Amino acid sequence: MFETIDQVVTLLRQQRYICDRKLATVIFLALKMNKPVLIEGPAGVGKTELAKTVARALNRRLIRLQCYEGLDEARALYEWEYGKQLLYTQILREKIGSLFAEMEDLRAAVEYLRQHEDVFFSEHFMVRRPILQAIASPEPVVLLIDEIDRAEEQFEAFLLEVLSDFQVTVPEIGTIVARHPPLVCITGNNTRELSDALKRRCLHLAIGYPDEERELEIIRLKVPELRESLARQVVSLIRRIRAMDLRKAPSISETLDWAQALVLLNAEQLSRELVEETLQLILKYDRDVQQVSAQLPVLLDGAPGAARPTFDNMDLREQQERYRINERAYFSSRREE
Amino acid sequence: MMDVPITRFVALLKRHGIAVSPAEAIDALQGLALAGIDDRETVRVVLRSTLVKQCQAIAEFDRLFDLYFSLPAPAEDGSPEERSGAGSTLLPDAGGATVPTPEGARAELAPVEMETDRTTRAPVTPEYKGVDLSLFGQHLLLQQRKDAGQNGYKPTFHVNARHNPGMPAGGELSTGDPGEEIDLGGAVEALLADLRALEVDEALLEQLEARLAGGLTRLPELLRRYRVRDAALHRARDPAAAPPRATRRTYRFNDHERRQMDEIIRRLGRQMRGALSYRKTANRRGRINVSRTIRGNLKYDGVPFFPVLSNQREERPRLTVICDVSLSVRTTARFMLHLVYSLQSLFSRVRSFVFVSDLAEISAEIERSSLEETIDRVFSGEIINTEENSNYGRALEIFYERYRSAATSRTTLIILGDGRGNRNPPNAWILEELRRRCKQVIWLTPESRGSWHIGASDMPTYAPICHKVEVVRNLDQLGRVAESLVRSSFANRR
Repeated sequence: MFETIDQVVTLLRQQRYICDRKLATVIFLALKMNKPVLIEGPAGVGKTELAKTVARALNRRLIRLQCYEGLDEARALYEWEYGKQLLYTQILREKIGSLFAEMEDLRAAVEYLRQHEDVFFSEHFMVRRPILQAIASPEPVVLLIDEIDRAEEQFEAFLLEVLSDFQVTVPEIGTIVARHPPLVCITGNNTRELSDALKRRCLHLAIGYPDEERELEIIRLKVPELRESLARQVVSLIRRIRAMDLRKAPSISETLDWAQALVLLNAEQLSRELVEETLQLILKYDRDVQQVSAQLPVLLDGAPGAARPTFDNMDLREQQERYRINERAYFSSRREE
Repeated sequence: MMDVPITRFVALLKRHGIAVSPAEAIDALQGLALAGIDDRETVRVVLRSTLVKQCQAIAEFDRLFDLYFSLPAPAEDGSPEERSGAGSTLLPDAGGATVPTPEGARAELAPVEMETDRTTRAPVTPEYKGVDLSLFGQHLLLQQRKDAGQNGYKPTFHVNARHNPGMPAGGELSTGDPGEEIDLGGAVEALLADLRALEVDEALLEQLEARLAGGLTRLPELLRRYRVRDAALHRARDPAAAPPRATRRTYRFNDHERRQMDEIIRRLGRQMRGALSYRKTANRRGRINVSRTIRGNLKYDGVPFFPVLSNQREERPRLTVICDVSLSVRTTARFMLHLVYSLQSLFSRVRSFVFVSDLAEISAEIERSSLEETIDRVFSGEIINTEENSNYGRALEIFYERYRSAATSRTTLIILGDGRGNRNPPNAWILEELRRRCKQVIWLTPESRGSWHIGASDMPTYAPICHKVEVVRNLDQLGRVAESLVRSSFANRR
């Protein structure tokens, strides 16, 4: 268990996750206050990774629920195992028959059956889906509800009981209360507004792109083979690309992929050809690639037109705005496909 | 004792449009108790994570936090170390740890300070009512360092500062020089005596005494600056204080409109929740499909181990919007486009067109940049010529010739305009043709029916052709129209 905020920072660092105090404070509070954390930010800044790392650092099991359009309570909470119930009745047919043989009339038989119906609606016939698993787990766990904005709004309503009281109500059985409240991490890509009820129950954590030093630190940690001078070039170029008006700006995960690739290619330093050849690694859309390669000479030279705002000197609101636009464009294009 | 400053801060957030529920305020207090208040950034993170749940509101929160929990540094007579450290602690020579004032807050305060220097004792703004002294006291509290925050210290300090005989009750400061009217020496002595009576650690007392001695001499100055800061908090929403970039965006929403819009969208979203949750692929719900169940379970001797459920696949309606963007209907057009795009997820395809005399599709533009930028570009005349007189007949003709495919039997067509075609041929037959092709045609006009026959309005011609004509002049009406639109689009759902 984490005792101080600094301890959170060190423990996460031991698990190879670089985080600032801001992030650590929220995790610390979540554990102490038994509140879920809602993590929002652009894709690839380490939202999911954070949950995984916290689980490792706490030495807890991670239970993951990936949300998707059409996710319902049968996939998220629990489901009755229809096949198994049927199989059992088939196998037990004779036994049941002999039990009912002594019954005088139908009424008595039904009454008798009613006394035993809980046999078939017991936990034995229940498939536990991730949320129920997390609640019913005998030891504390970390529950990761990934990309909640992909699920529909009414799925959030299922979550409310779980998030505030850490319990699940199954009509046939009763309420299952968590013995140890799990640490719940919910991630969202901000593609739609989440309901206020959900937000109210969570601590909110907005992760943005890291600053230059932190990104360098992350590269050093994850791709130690990359030489320092090259890492600096990579980071500064990535940051300039991020400042451009792209459909999907490169994220930390893309930076790491690229760094890895540069190591494999034995790159000495970033040349124009090299960047053009590997641009596909950091940009996911053709139009973005074209746009960036057209600007490459300027981008590589440094001092990319002082008039342009760079990602660094934008304020947080603008950063948010930018990535929201990018995400929106991304999702509307996906819908068409 | 933390609750008063925090509830006040919450009230401030609310005043600036950040919704905070009581439960969240309690969370904030609980969080502060756990994380401690000795580090300014920690306090900021705790408050932000518990109180602010909208990413868009974070910048505003930071700004308000900086303003609320900061005190401008004392004037020029400060010692060099505190000036270099940009120190904003009230009592600078204590313990060495000064709380830095963020640059942003300082920059914001700078013009105000100059303003007051010129007119020292005049109220800073008309609505400015005076300094709330209790806030000042709480402020001292928040800025205490950890070593000073031992048992009994904070509450006593706080209470005494508020109830000292020298302090005016109610916290209202008179207009004269603040330093002259308050019996500061008496107040401090009483405070120290109280503290001694509490048997507080002696070293701590000495430290406090030293601090007070340092702070007292500059207290009038500090109070004045505090007042300035306080005034800055109150006038923060003054339109003149907004960043200059806002002046360019004449067609953007103001905060009130945005909130109203959000509310409409939320309401519609709630209403449509059932309708949204249809399943396209997985037939996990619905009725048992008898024939497929029997066929699928033949291998189990006909025992239905795996029931096959199926439900009808439901089609999402499509929406096509044609907006007149001539000057007369611009505001409504802007709202309409915003609304339509906020509701985009309800429809399978939203296409939008703008016209004055020429007609152009802007769906792709919106996808590429953002709706707001696109609207700005449309209104500035980049996409179509907005200087011309509007010509409804021509616009309809272009639509019919080029974009007929945007009107199908699943489409709801919305036309927004006042129908004033400047005596050009109205081409009503196109609208008739479109009515035949579309599921429904809705015309929204900002003019009430009474004024249709005045001047060259073609509305009397167009109106009977449409399924529905609605008069829309403000956001409320638009909300109602959108509601009925969405309801009728999904009417055959359940």
